[in-house]
Amino acid sequence: MTAALEMLLRLVAWLVLAPLIPGIINKVKAWVAGRRGPPVLQLYYDLAKLWRKGVVLSTAVSPGHVAGPAVAWVALVFAALLLPAGPAGAPLAFRGDALLFVYLLALARFCTAIAALDTGSAFEGMGAAREVSYAVLCEAAIITALLALSLQTGSVSLTTMLAPAAGAGAALLAAGLFVVLLAENCRVPFDDPNTHLELTMIHEVMVLDHSGPPLAVILHGAALKLLLFSMLLVEAVLPLGELSPLSATGALAGAVLSVAVGIGLVESLLARVAFRRVPLLLTTAFLLCLFALLIVWKGGHL
Amino acid sequence: MTPGWLLFIAAAGLVAGIFAAFRAPRVWLTATLIGAVAALAAAIWILASGGIWDWQATFALGGERVHLRLDGVSAFFLALLALLGCAGSLYAQEYWTDKAHPVSAPSGRAWWNALLVNLGLVLLCANGLHFLIAWEIFTVCAYFLVTQDRHRREVRAAGWLYLAASHAAALCLFAFFASIAARVGTWELGPMRERAELAPLFWLALFGFGLKAGMFPLHIWLPSAHANAPSHVSAILSGVTIKIGIYGLVRFTGWLPVPDAAGWVVLTLGVASAVLGVAFALGQHDLKRLLAYHSVENIGIILIGLGFAMVAAAHGNVAWGQLALAGGLLHVWNHGLFKALLFLGAGSVLHGTGTREMSSLGGLWRAMPWTAGLFALGAAAISGLPPLNGFVSEWLVFLGLFDAVSAHGPAAWAAIPAAVLLGVTGALALACFVKVCGVVFLGLPRSDAVERAHECGWRMRLPMLVLAAACVAIGLAPALFWPAVETACATWQPAWAASGPPAPLLKLGAFHIAVAALATLVAVVLWRRVKINGLSRTVTWDCGYAAPAPRMQYTAGSFAGIITGWFAWILRPERHSHPPQGPFPAHASLEEHTPETVLERVVEPAGLVVMRLSTAVRRLQHGRLQAYILYLLIGLAALALLALMGGAK
Repeated sequence: MTAALEMLLRLVAWLVLAPLIPGIINKVKAWVAGRRGPPVLQLYYDLAKLWRKGVVLSTAVSPGHVAGPAVAWVALVFAALLLPAGPAGAPLAFRGDALLFVYLLALARFCTAIAALDTGSAFEGMGAAREVSYAVLCEAAIITALLALSLQTGSVSLTTMLAPAAGAGAALLAAGLFVVLLAENCRVPFDDPNTHLELTMIHEVMVLDHSGPPLAVILHGAALKLLLFSMLLVEAVLPLGELSPLSATGALAGAVLSVAVGIGLVESLLARVAFRRVPLLLTTAFLLCLFALLIVWKGGHL
Repeated sequence: MTPGWLLFIAAAGLVAGIFAAFRAPRVWLTATLIGAVAALAAAIWILASGGIWDWQATFALGGERVHLRLDGVSAFFLALLALLGCAGSLYAQEYWTDKAHPVSAPSGRAWWNALLVNLGLVLLCANGLHFLIAWEIFTVCAYFLVTQDRHRREVRAAGWLYLAASHAAALCLFAFFASIAARVGTWELGPMRERAELAPLFWLALFGFGLKAGMFPLHIWLPSAHANAPSHVSAILSGVTIKIGIYGLVRFTGWLPVPDAAGWVVLTLGVASAVLGVAFALGQHDLKRLLAYHSVENIGIILIGLGFAMVAAAHGNVAWGQLALAGGLLHVWNHGLFKALLFLGAGSVLHGTGTREMSSLGGLWRAMPWTAGLFALGAAAISGLPPLNGFVSEWLVFLGLFDAVSAHGPAAWAAIPAAVLLGVTGALALACFVKVCGVVFLGLPRSDAVERAHECGWRMRLPMLVLAAACVAIGLAPALFWPAVETACATWQPAWAASGPPAPLLKLGAFHIAVAALATLVAVVLWRRVKINGLSRTVTWDCGYAAPAPRMQYTAGSFAGIITGWFAWILRPERHSHPPQGPFPAHASLEEHTPETVLERVVEPAGLVVMRLSTAVRRLQHGRLQAYILYLLIGLAALALLALMGGAK
């Protein structure tokens, strides 16, 4: 009973905290640009408003259209349950959950892309094509990163894999995972969340035809995914499992905050790269993870 | 009833079906279904009990005593054969009717039963000679089934290619079994791991069985045969007959010794098949041809599992070898189930619209809601997404690969690229099936063919429902199916008889159930919320264009364009482009086509060289008597010279 209650509490914590990250990023961007910017809690207000709004659906969509965002959100929620939160470990942990984590993200991608194609819009098709294509390279990088962590700890469960620091290859792994984070969450330099030109978008263009509560679910899911990747990055690099609970929690919060600030700075200082350069950037991320893996490999014998 | 009696009922039912096929379709269906269900029961019996059914007849065939044996490995494949046999028989009743095909429908039913019987015999025969006979007959049956629609030119071409390729494989297998018989002294087959001199014969088996399985680069016959066969035949070809190639590899790597390099070669071919199979699939515009290339991909995943199991067996690493083998074998079932489901779905599309060309489909969910829903389920399963069955087997293979990396042995160097490329394969398959579902079933109709579309009847729907239910069942309760996989694994390598599943399948199953339940719940809640808030409809937002037309939708080619661009080095897409010119462009077009690179760039040129050489040799034989007399004289003179020189010594 207590276990179930604890899981529920943690789930609520995940769901409540997730929309903070985009707020922080936007605040950082505003500061760098010399503006005051929207409040940090803006996404909460947006979500509350969208949840009460009416819905406009395309005449072309199938009855499953609303199920797309729902299933994608559930997949992300379950991925969150697999990810350990610092010293407390993950609510759900078993051997092989690292791969389940990757494939839950794939399930979310599948549903989002299918819902995009459902509208018959050329722009949404374009976005879906980009999303699923670039995800191929992201997946290679993530699997390589997981291989590095698994080789280091001898485990295929995220709770064990993420407990110690990533060792000598930590910097490479962090850089690789940060690039993957930017790509998977459609941030600059891969995609511009603020753009208003449908032709150049990836993620935002896929959700053009969603509105009201389904859009709220999509936005919340995107915030959740951002938090997921930030936590993954932080926990892969920092030895959170070896610290005392209090300092680990502090370190986790501080590190996630600095990742958010980092994303804000990247978005303020970098321009979007041309689409033909995206594969190069992602291949670089893959190579960074691969070198991290090789360092772990050599580390085992030195 | 024992497995023997069940198999007897199965054989009786299927053979009775052959005779009933021409006059009494209902009797045929009943007999075939009874036979297939009996075979399924026999397979489940063996898989559940872990025993072996062994039967030696008192009579001989071709000078050899008939010897049948059903053990864990063969029962594993027999179960799949029986289930897909049931599904296909029922489906064919509506899909390939006597009314539409008065000649080929009755003969097709007879060939269908002959195919099932002989596939079963291949699985049961424990005698090399009888194995070859059954193999040859099922190959020929499959040829007649593929070419049921033989007034179409491309069907005949596909049939010939299939027949030629299959006989290249059969030739290797003749050599394989004859060599075993020559060295061992008997045609009887069984475990003979201790006879090291048989190891080099593995290469013959790899070519013969690998060609049948459709692994890259021996897959040349597969896409056209699977695309042009009637859909229930495509389903059994893709679901079962290519798995018979895998059966051969599993069987004889288990029974015979293999060379040291064998495991490495198998897993390299597996990785190549997986990645390139899906890359070629992405370049296809024909729905069924696309599905056929995905068979190459999935065979690759199975071979990765088998290859690592062979490496593990050679190095004595039990744990990850068992995981890889279990994943590979479970993927045999899973691929059989969802690929058959997808082919039956594609058949339903073809039946309803009359076209397999994806660029003229779209928005089919309106006319065919059942087909669309079931196809989407199959698509999610083949993309390896939780909570469906495709994920379970890929997960097991992945776990094996990760453990191999952690074990830090020589296999890790192969496991790292294999794991990364397996992940890439999954992501590519996802891209491909998003494309298929989106272009075929969603959006707006791209041509009149869709306007006339109609949903299939219950006889086509029921088999799809059964296959979809099986996909969901393995996904939600993988632990339930573990004993079968374990029996097969333990038969392959008796040392690997484990006490329980090496991976937490129960937890995975519970997790999958939770995902499925919560996803349904959230979808319902969201839909209710949408209803409460108020729902209005308008046209799709297309950047402010007033009249979005179906032609403006993203096409299948454009969708896959980014990825096919990455693989252009092997796909070699052909582009025919007429760009718009002048201030008032009149006509513009762009056409892209992905050729069969291996067939058109390697096999056909090689065939041409052989043809030229044989034409050159044929000049010697032109029918002029004088010339022949000259050859005789030259021959005699040469012999005389030889004799003289020999005599001088």
